[in-house]
Amino acid sequence: MSTVRAGSRWIRADLRARRGQALLTVLAVAGIVAALLTAATLLEEGTNPWRGLFAQTNGAHVWAHTRDQPELGRLLALDGVARAAGPYRSAPVTVVQEGRKDPAALRAVPATPPEVSRPVIVEGQWLSTAQPDGVVVERSFARSLGLRPGEPLAMNTLSGARRVLYVRGIADTADQGFYPEWTPGLVWVLPVTLDQVEPSLGRSEWVTGLRLKDEDATQVVAQRVVVTLDEQLQRVHTWREVRAAMELDNRLLGTLLALFGVVGLVAAALALANAAGGRVLGQLRDLATLKSLGFTRRQVALLLIVEHGALGLLGIGLGTVGGLGVTMAVFGSTSLAPLPVVAIAGGTALVVLAAVGLPAWRGGRTPPIPAAPAAPPRGHLSRLARLALLVRLPPALVLGTRDAFTRRLPAFLTVFGLAVPMMMITIGLGVWATLDNFLKNPAQVGQTASLIVKKGKLTPAEAELFVSRDPDVRHAYPGSTVNALAPGEARSVRVRAIGTSTERYPFPVAEGRMYTRPGEAVAGQGLLDLLGVRIGDRVRLTVGGSPLIVRIVGRAVEPDLDGEVLSLGLDSLAAKDSVPPGFYALHLREGADPDEVRARLLAASGEGLEVQRVVNPAERLTILRVVIVALIAVLALIGLANLLTASALGLRDHASDLAVLKAMGLTPRQVTATLVTATGLLVVLGVFLGTALGALFVRGLIDLQGHASGVGAGIGRAPQPVTLGLAVLAAVGAALAVALIPARRAARVPVTAR
Amino acid sequence: MSVVLKAVNLVKVYTDSGVPVHAVRGVDLEIEAGEFVAIMGPSGSGKSTLIHMLGGLDARTSGEIWLDGRRVDTLSESGWALLRRRKVGFVFQNFNLVANMTVADNVELPALLAGASPREARERREDLLARLNLTERADAPPGQLSGGEQQRVALARALANRPSLLLADEPTGNLDSRNTRDVLRLLGEVHRDGQTIVMVTHDARVAALADRVVSLLDGEIVDDGRIPRRRPATGTAGEVIDLR
Repeated sequence: MSTVRAGSRWIRADLRARRGQALLTVLAVAGIVAALLTAATLLEEGTNPWRGLFAQTNGAHVWAHTRDQPELGRLLALDGVARAAGPYRSAPVTVVQEGRKDPAALRAVPATPPEVSRPVIVEGQWLSTAQPDGVVVERSFARSLGLRPGEPLAMNTLSGARRVLYVRGIADTADQGFYPEWTPGLVWVLPVTLDQVEPSLGRSEWVTGLRLKDEDATQVVAQRVVVTLDEQLQRVHTWREVRAAMELDNRLLGTLLALFGVVGLVAAALALANAAGGRVLGQLRDLATLKSLGFTRRQVALLLIVEHGALGLLGIGLGTVGGLGVTMAVFGSTSLAPLPVVAIAGGTALVVLAAVGLPAWRGGRTPPIPAAPAAPPRGHLSRLARLALLVRLPPALVLGTRDAFTRRLPAFLTVFGLAVPMMMITIGLGVWATLDNFLKNPAQVGQTASLIVKKGKLTPAEAELFVSRDPDVRHAYPGSTVNALAPGEARSVRVRAIGTSTERYPFPVAEGRMYTRPGEAVAGQGLLDLLGVRIGDRVRLTVGGSPLIVRIVGRAVEPDLDGEVLSLGLDSLAAKDSVPPGFYALHLREGADPDEVRARLLAASGEGLEVQRVVNPAERLTILRVVIVALIAVLALIGLANLLTASALGLRDHASDLAVLKAMGLTPRQVTATLVTATGLLVVLGVFLGTALGALFVRGLIDLQGHASGVGAGIGRAPQPVTLGLAVLAAVGAALAVALIPARRAARVPVTAR
Repeated sequence: MSVVLKAVNLVKVYTDSGVPVHAVRGVDLEIEAGEFVAIMGPSGSGKSTLIHMLGGLDARTSGEIWLDGRRVDTLSESGWALLRRRKVGFVFQNFNLVANMTVADNVELPALLAGASPREARERREDLLARLNLTERADAPPGQLSGGEQQRVALARALANRPSLLLADEPTGNLDSRNTRDVLRLLGEVHRDGQTIVMVTHDARVAALADRVVSLLDGEIVDDGRIPRRRPATGTAGEVIDLR
C-alpha cells in the first residue's frame, strides 16, 4: 500500500511532465485497436449483415420458386422443416425510374408481417390495407433507386401496362442478397394490389420460404424440396448463397483492415517499446534516486510497467469504445460478439505489456547510485560519419551523423519503427493505385464492355441494328449468361458466353491462354478452386439438362460472383442457350462516355432497348479509400510517436555536448542542424526502407488477397513513383519539421546554463 | 554510547574493464549514535565508494557492515532498499531531486514509501520544510530552486523518515559559499538534535564542522581523529574555522 501511494505520486508527476507524448501513445494504441475491431467486425458477424438480419427477421433457410401454388402441407411434412413463409405470389415487373430500368419482383404478402422471414422496417411503415397502393421496398434496392418513403414507384408489367405505386416503407430482409448483385430487386405489396397490377396468374410465380430446425440440414432439405416439387419447381436457393452474396465486398475490406491492424499493432508495440525505453533512458537518474530512497528493483520495474502499460490500456479502452462505436454507427445494433472483442482487447493488452516489459525490466536494474553516468555508451565515429568526414560535408552533418548511431538499439528501433508504418502506408497507396487502375483500365478486370444492352421489346435483329449503327460502339459482342450445375456440388455456377471463339471478347487472361476454338473456356480463380481443377483440365457441367463439356485453357481475372464464373464463346454453348443472344456487350470507342451512348441508344430505340451500365468493382469499393486514409492517419501517429521518442532521446544524450560544441565555436544554427541531422538520418533511413519494402510486397499482397477472394492474382498494382515520391517527401518533411522545434529550443539555451 | 554503524575490513574492487581497481582496501570503522563523522580525502581516495557501500547503494567485495547491531552486508539489493526506507537517509552532491515532482512531493515520497499515511506524510513534510525555511517553495518544481534551496529540500527528504543514519556525499560540492554555510548550519542543527551523520567531503573547512574526521587515502584510513568540541556558536557572523 505504501509503495502504491509513493508510486502513484511519481507516475502522476511523470505523466504530467510529458502530456503530449502520453496522449500520442494513447491515440496510437486506440487507433490500432479500433482498426482491429472494425476489421474483425467486417470479417465476422457484423459485416456479414446476413447473420444479424437472419436472426432479426427469423429468416427462412430454403427458398423455392414454383410455377403454381405449392401444397404447403407437403413441404411442411418434410423432415427437418420447422415452419414456412408463404407461399407468396410474385410477379416480375420493370421499375422505370428516370430513364433507368431495373428488374423487380412484386411479392404479395399479408398486411400483418409474417412470422418467418419477417422484413424489418428501417424507414416508414409496413403495408396496410388502408393504403392499397403502398409498397415496401427492400433497402439495397431502394438505395440503388434513390427511393424514400412517400415517393412514387413507376413500373411496367410483363404485359406492358404501366402502374404507379407509392413507397410506404423500406425494409431489410435476409431473403435475398443486395441489389444490384442480386436481381431482381424485391418489392412487397398487398395481395389485392398485386391482383390489380398483374392479374394474370400465368405471368407470376410462387415463392415459399422454409425455416429448418437445423441449418446444417439445408442441403438435404433443399434436395428433398427439389424431388417433392419436381416439375413445378423453377429454382431453389438457400441461405448460403444469400450469405455469400452479402459478404463479398466486406471480406475484402475486412482482410485489408486486419492486415493493417495486425501490422499496425506490431508497429504500435515497437513505438510503445521505443517510447518507454527512451523515457527510461531519460530517467535513469530519477530511477536511481528512487532506489536510493528505498524502492526495490521490482518496485521500480512495476512502476514503469504500470505507467507505460496504463497508457496502452487507456488506449485499448478508448479504441474498444471507438471501434464498437464505429461498427454500431455503420452496421447498426447487430455488432460483434463479445468473444472477439475480448480477444482483441486482451491480445493487444498482452502485446502492450510485453512491449513495455523489457524497458521496465531494464529500468529496474538501474544501479541505485544517482550520479552514475547515463551518457551514450559509444562515442566513436560511425562508419557513416567517417564517410561524411571524408567527403568534406559540413561539420554539423558529420556530428549529426555520428550522433545518430551512438545508441544502437534505440537507433534500430527508430528506423524500424518508422519503416513499418511507412511500409503499410505504401501498401495502402498500392491498394489505392489498384482501385484507380480498375477505374482507368476496366478491361483489365474483364470490363472491356462498358454497356450491356438487352433487346427489351425489340427483336434481336432490330437490337443488333441499333447497337451496330451507333458511332461510338467499336464492337458489339453478342452474349448469353446461363447457370450450369457443377458436378458434385448442389449449387450452380455462372457460365458467361460473350463473342465467339473466333471473334473473342477480350477476357483478361492472367494465366494460360485465351480460348481459340469451341469447347475451350477460361475460368475465374473462384471456379477453379470450387471445382478443384487446374488449367488444362476438362470439366463437365449441366446447362438446363444438357451437358456442357469444356477444356479450361486459361484463368481470367474475374471480379464477379467470387470468381465462380466460366467464360467462353457463344459457339461453345448449345444453340438453345445461345440463339438468340441474351444481350450485347458494347465495347465503346476510346473516350466515349457510356452514359451518352446509353442515352442515345435509348432515344434511338424509343426506349425499346434495355441498356445497363457495367458497375466497376472499384465503385463498390469506394469505402476502401476512406479506410485507407484513416489507416494512414493512425500509422502516421505511430510514426510520430517514434519520432518524438528519438528526438527526445537524442536531445537528452547530447544536451551536455551542446555546450561543448558551442564553446568550440558552432553557431546556434549549426547546433540545430547537428540535432536535426541526428534524428533526420534515422527518419530518412526508416522511411526509405519502409517504402522499399512496401513497394516490394504490395503487388504480391494484393494478388494474394485477389486469389483468396476468387478474383485471382494479377490485379495488384504498385503505387505510382510520383505518389511514392510525394509520400516519402511528406513523411521526411513532417519528421524534420517535428525534429526542428525541440532542436532549435535546445540550441538557444546559453552555454553556461548547466 | 551504542554503535550505530560498524564496518569490518571492508573491501571494494572494481573490475569494470578487466583490470581490478582497489577502491577501498580493508576499512574498519565504528560510528556511535549521535556522532557526526566527516570522511575526507582527495578525489579518487575511495570516500564516495565507501559511503555508497555503507548505504547499500554499491555492493561490497568483502568485509562486513553492521547497522544498529544487525549485519546488513549480506542483504540483497531489495533488502537494502527496504532497510534504507527506515534507517538510512541520503544527501547527494547533485541534490537528485525528482525533476517532475514538486518540492512537497519530493519530501513526502520517502515517508509514503515507509508506510506513512498521506496525512502523516504531509504533516511531516510541512514541519520539515518550515524548519528549513522552504514552506513557500512547497509547490515549486525543483528546477526553479537555487542550488542551496535544492540541497535543503534534499536534506528534508533524507530526514523525512527520521533515519538512524544520515549519509551525505559531498553535500556542499555544488554550492557557493553562502549556500554551503546554510546547509552546514542545518546539518549542525540536525546533529545537535541527536542525528548520526556520516559526511563525505574533500573540503577541510567543511569537515571541521564534524566531531570526528576520518582521512582516506588510496582506499585506506590514514587518520581518524576527534576534533575537540568547541563552545557553542555565539551567533556572531562567520564561524572561526580551526585548521588543524
